[in-house]
Amino acid sequence: MTTFLLIIHGLMAVALLGGLTHQAFAVLWPARATGGFTSAYRAVSAARFTNANITFYVMTFVLGAVIYPPYRIAVRTWIERARLWHISGLFEYKEQALAIGLAMLPFFWLVWRNPKDESMASARKWTTAILCVIVWYSFIAGHIVNNVRGLFGQ
Amino acid sequence: MNVTKVFGLFAAVFAIAYTIAFEWHWELFSYHPRTGEFGWGQQASKGGPVMHWYGAIATGFVAALAVSAAALPFTKTRSLPLWLGWAVPLACILVWGWLLRGFFLR
Repeated sequence: MTTFLLIIHGLMAVALLGGLTHQAFAVLWPARATGGFTSAYRAVSAARFTNANITFYVMTFVLGAVIYPPYRIAVRTWIERARLWHISGLFEYKEQALAIGLAMLPFFWLVWRNPKDESMASARKWTTAILCVIVWYSFIAGHIVNNVRGLFGQ
Repeated sequence: MNVTKVFGLFAAVFAIAYTIAFEWHWELFSYHPRTGEFGWGQQASKGGPVMHWYGAIATGFVAALAVSAAALPFTKTRSLPLWLGWAVPLACILVWGWLLRGFFLR
C-alpha cells in the first residue's frame, strides 16, 4: 500500500511540477510573441494554473505526510545507520521548505486572484518563483532519497 | 472584514512559528510511528523513532491563525505589506539551510 501511495505521490508531484513551472515561466519570463516552443511554453494563461497548482500541492503534501512514517522507520533509520548524512539532510530540508510553502498557498492564491493587478506583480513573481523552487528541489531530493533506499528496499 | 488581507501575515507567522517550534521543541504533539501513538509536546523515544514534524506544523498553524485573527480588525484601516507573504518565508527557508548545515558539513 505504501509503495502504491508513493507512486501516486510521485505522479502528483510531476503534475504539480509541470503546472507550477508553466506558471513561473509565464510570469517571470512572459512571451512577447508566439513563435517556437519556448515562446509557446511561456505564452500560457498563467492565472488558470493557480487553483490546480494549489490542489496538487495540498494533495501531494497530504500523501507525503501519510507515507512519512514508513519512511521514518524503514528508510531514514537505514540512511542514518549508513551515515549518509547529506542524503538525510536533503530530505530534512525538503520537509521544512514544503511546510513553509504550504502556508504560502493562501497568499499565492491571493496574488493570482487578479493577475492584472499591478500592485501585486512583484509579490506574484516572488511567490510563484519561491514555490516553484521548493517543488523542484523537493522533487529532486525525494528522488535521490528514494534511489538511495526505496521503501522496503533490502 | 476581509480575510484575504491577512494571508501574507499568515504565511509569515507560520514560517517563523514553525521554525521556532522545530528548533526550540515547541511542537504541539509528537508521533511514534512504530507504535502509532501520539503524545502532547516533545516526547522522548519509546523504543523507536519519534516524529515532531506534524506537531511543528500544528504549532505553526495555530500561531499563524491566532496572529492573523488578532490582526484582522486592524486591516480595516490599513493594509499589511505584501512582502510579508513571500520575503519572510523565503528568509526562514534560508535560515533552515543554516540550521541544517551540519548534515552537509560532516
